[in-house]
Parts: sequence; structure tokens; C-alpha cells
Amino acid sequence: MENLGLLMHGFGIVLSLNHLVLMLVGVLLGILVGVLPGLGAPNGVSLLLPLTFAMQPVSAIILLTSMYWGALFGGSVTSILFNIPGEPSSVATTFDGYPMARDGRATQALVTAFSSAAFGALVGVVLITLLASWIAKMALNFGSAEYFAVYFLAFASFIGVGGSPPAKTLVSLCIGFAIAAMGMDTISGNVRLTLGVDDFVRGISFVVAVMGLFGIGELLIATEDELHAKAVSSRIDWREVWRTLRGMPSHWLALLRSAAIGCWMGITPGGPTAASFMSYGVASRVSPRRANFGRGEPEGIVAPETADHAAGTSALLPMLALGIPGSATAAVMMGGLMIWGLTPGPMLFIEQKDFVWGLIASMYLGNIVAVVLVLLTVPIFAALMRVPFFVISPLILVVCAVGAYAVSNSYMDVVLMMGFGVLGYLFKKLAYPISPLVLAIVIGDKAEEAFRQAMLSSKGSVSIFFATPLCATITGIGIALLLIPLIAASLRRAARFSARVS
Amino acid sequence: MITRRALEIATAALTGAFGVAIVVSSLQAGVGWTARGVGSGTFPFIAGVLIVGGSLYNIARNSLDPGPVALDRTGLRKLAAMLLPAILFVAAIPLVGLHLAAGAYAFASVAMHRAGSLRSAIVIGIATPLALYGIFDWAFQVSLPRGLFF
Repeated sequence: MENLGLLMHGFGIVLSLNHLVLMLVGVLLGILVGVLPGLGAPNGVSLLLPLTFAMQPVSAIILLTSMYWGALFGGSVTSILFNIPGEPSSVATTFDGYPMARDGRATQALVTAFSSAAFGALVGVVLITLLASWIAKMALNFGSAEYFAVYFLAFASFIGVGGSPPAKTLVSLCIGFAIAAMGMDTISGNVRLTLGVDDFVRGISFVVAVMGLFGIGELLIATEDELHAKAVSSRIDWREVWRTLRGMPSHWLALLRSAAIGCWMGITPGGPTAASFMSYGVASRVSPRRANFGRGEPEGIVAPETADHAAGTSALLPMLALGIPGSATAAVMMGGLMIWGLTPGPMLFIEQKDFVWGLIASMYLGNIVAVVLVLLTVPIFAALMRVPFFVISPLILVVCAVGAYAVSNSYMDVVLMMGFGVLGYLFKKLAYPISPLVLAIVIGDKAEEAFRQAMLSSKGSVSIFFATPLCATITGIGIALLLIPLIAASLRRAARFSARVS
Repeated sequence: MITRRALEIATAALTGAFGVAIVVSSLQAGVGWTARGVGSGTFPFIAGVLIVGGSLYNIARNSLDPGPVALDRTGLRKLAAMLLPAILFVAAIPLVGLHLAAGAYAFASVAMHRAGSLRSAIVIGIATPLALYGIFDWAFQVSLPRGLFF
């Protein structure tokens, strides 16, 4: 009940003209970056970051999260109408969304996507409202050993259940750690790992990495594929909107199942992309209508969209309560929080009540605003997709260059961004996951700090990570997750061996 | 023509080289247990060793099978057509400033594409620097690099 009162207080903060305008602007910009291939939510949020330095933290986070919601919705529009996922997390939406649109059921496909997305987001926000302050309260008793154990668990889950080849995930993750360590060592004050480059003394900003890895990398991939936007009618038939909305409750089972998958994947940092694929995969195995999957089945839209948004929203729960972001975009936002002078984690719930509950209230409102705006603007953004790619791509590159430069007014950052771009292209092409790299850059320092403080208190013995039952459990689960790929590989080998013997 | 194997090995060699650089410079920063606790190179040292190990594994795993063609001639040409102008754009920023470099880059990209028209290229070439100036320098007071001449 205490949470409800705080939530009402949050609504009081959000419901001001200033914040509503920011929300509107954020959602529209978000739909824009969501629609444009090559610009996604992590980039969009990083681009806006320098513009928020002068704002109140609560206004800034409302702008950034609204952009996130907009981008999540915008990605589905292009998936359905053009078979081009605007966001990696809406790839699974193309499987059934585009066939529906092609058959002249574009409105039904869009409305199904938006309303399931809104449902997923709602479940995520309710989860945050109910659990966030409880988890934060529990985390207040955490020492540095527990913190490191939680970080360890988060990183181990990328390797164990992230879905990408484990060795590639490990490399990506550790490159992030190494980059995070460059520059000033926060504990000893020494300068380290500058590799002979003077500019690296101040470290490498995660924004520069995001611009290159996600923006330029995506652009290079898209150039190679040469996107062709085949136009499907993008007119919205309002009678069809109501008819589809009335039919939504019949998908209740798929909605609930996908929301559960999404929330789980969002809190353990699996991210929205993995969530949407997993949810689609599960639905195509257990749904009574699975025979129609891939040929324009509404439930094939419900499953990935609900999970995508549930994961995107609940990714903010560990970010707020523990200081561990659940997705790449949440990692960028957390970087923003630190720049605004806030410390993500349990103390936020005590020291910055206005900020936390203003943010949570804005999530409810922001998602509603996003659904309405995205429905109203579908024809406009669909028209944008008809601008040829060779016109859009140089503009996106310029925008990324400006974004990288604006972080600290340094030309070196623009050059670095291009380097990250080539790396991002190679990584995407070869199935290296990128999110772990970004997450590690943002929280690598904090993980290292927790590790070193814990080791100081134990005088150099790693047994501290097993000292308390809680700590031992978390560390144990982390180690078990790391072992999953090894066990799976040896099981496969054993199966192959026994097949050969028989 | 570039095979998947070549691309895998090149990427793993790149990450491996970065790992070695990290290992070497963390050793300089001090690795292991010292009087002041864990040395400041320890954490990155572990990361570096894991990068090197993972990269070697990726090389070994992919060196047997050449795999499918990852990039054919047209793919390479398209990639170069995107990447080379972009590199020129970045290289031109310190000389002529971001506004002019961006305008010239946008103009050239559209003008040189087989489906682009000169008129739209001119419009984009002029609109880009103006929009950059309007949004960043004027509205948000983020001053972008002006180059040597302004």
C-alpha cells in the first residue's frame, strides 16, 4: 500500500505540462529512430544524452524512457508494413506480421502488435511498482561481496543462456571490461591501460561505443543487404481497430505466457531481442494455432511483441533497484543517471524518491501516449520509409558522428566511433552478441570496485564470495550458468559417440 | 570473395591482439595481491587473458571448415561504397569542420548513387549543414567543430 501512495505522488510529478511535452517529444523521436533502420533505441537514447545534461534528472529520464517506448513501438511498424525490422527485437514480429499486412490485414496486424506490446509493458511496470522497492530494501543489506556476486550472476547468464556462442559472448563481455578499465582507476587513482594514446586517459565513453557498434555497424549490414521497402498499404481503418481490440482478450493465454517470458528475460539480463525470439519459439510449439504460424497468425504477433515490451520495461527493474541494467538501452540510461549525479541502486529509493516514483509513474503514462501516437502517425512514418536508403544512410552516419562528438567535444571520439562501427559490423556478421560489451563498459568499473573491496575485507581470499548463504547461493547459480554450455557440449559429444557405437 | 572462415579468423585475430595489448599494459599497472589490496591491473589482466583465450578458441574452431561465402564481390563493393566516403567524411572534419564535411558527404552520397538526382543532392547538401547548425549550435548550444577556416 505504501507503494501505491508513492506511485500517486509520482503521478503528481509527471502530470505537469513540461513533462507531458517531453513525453510527447520523446515518444515521437523514439518512433522515428525505431522506424529508421540503423538507428535503434540504444543509439537514440545516447544521442539525446548530451542534451539532457542541463535538465532536472526526473525530466531527463522521462525524455529518455519515452524515447525507449517510442522506439520499441516504431520497430514493429516497419516489421509489419515493410518486412524490415526497425529494431533487432522486432525481427520475430516480421514472421507473422508481414504476411498479415501483405494479405490486406495491415490494420489488424498493427493493432494486435501495439495492444500486446502495451499489455507486456503494463505487466512489466506493475512488476516494477510491486517489487522494486522491496528488492531495493533487500539490497540495502548487500555488502560488496554480494554486489559482486550479483554482477557475476548477470554476466554469467549472458554466457549460459544468452543464446549466442559462449566463447564469442565471453570475448565480447571481456572487451567491454577492458574498455571500462581504461583511463583512471577509481580506487588507486592510477592511470592505466592507455595503450599509448593520450586521449584514453579519460577513458572511452559508452556512448561512443554504442554509436559505432549499434549505429554504424547496423548501417553497414543494411547497406550490404540493400533494403527495399516494398510498400504495403499503411492506411488505418478505424473500425478494424475497434474490432481487433475487442478480439484481444481471446489471446489471454498467449499474452500471459509471453509477458512472463518477457519479464524473466528482462530482469535477468537477456534483453528484449532474446525474449521476443524465445516467446515466439515457445508459442510456435505450444499454441493450439501453431499450424498457421509464419502465414499470418495474430498469435504469432502477440507472442514476440508482448515479450519484447515486457522485457524492455522490466529491464529497468534491476537497473533501478540494484544498479545492473537488463538491456543495452537500460545500460545507456544508467550511464546517464551517473552523469546526472545519481547513483543507481537501492539508495536511489531512499534519497531520490521523486525521481524513482516519477519515473515509474511516467512508464504507465508513457506507454499509453506511445500507443496512441504510434497509431496516429503510422501513415507519416510509413511514408518516411519510402525515402531511399542511400539518402537516409549518410544522414544517419552524420547524426552518429555528431552524437559521438558531443559527448566530450572530442574529434578522437568520432574516429573511435568509426572503429567501433567496423567492429560492430564484424560482430553482427559473425553472431558475436553486442549487448554484453555495452553492459560491461557501463558497469565494469562498478563490478571491479565491488570485487576489490570484497577482497580487501577478506584480505585477499576469494572465499568471501561464499561466506554468507545469500552470497554463496548467488555465486553458485552464476557458476552453474557458466557450466551450462560445457555440460551441453559434452552431452552432445556423448550422444554423437553413442550414435557412432550403435 | 571472402569466406566465413577468413572473416572469423580475422575478427578473432583482431580481438586477440586487443587482448594481448590489454594483458601487457595491465602487467605494467601491477597484477596480483599487493599491500594496498588487489593491484589495479588485476581485473583487466583477467579480462585480457579471457579475451586471448576466447579468441584462440574461436580461431581453432573456425579454421577447419571454410564455411559459406560471407562476402561476395558485389557485397564488398557495396560495403566499400558506404565505408570509404564515410571515412573521408570523418577525415575531413578537422580541416573544414563538421557542418561542411557533412554537407559535402551527404551531397556526394546522393549525387554518386545511380538512382540519385543532382537536384535532390544539392537540396540535401545544403539542408544538412543548416539543420546541424540550427539544432546543435543554435537550439542546444552544443558547438560543433568549425575546422581551420572559420
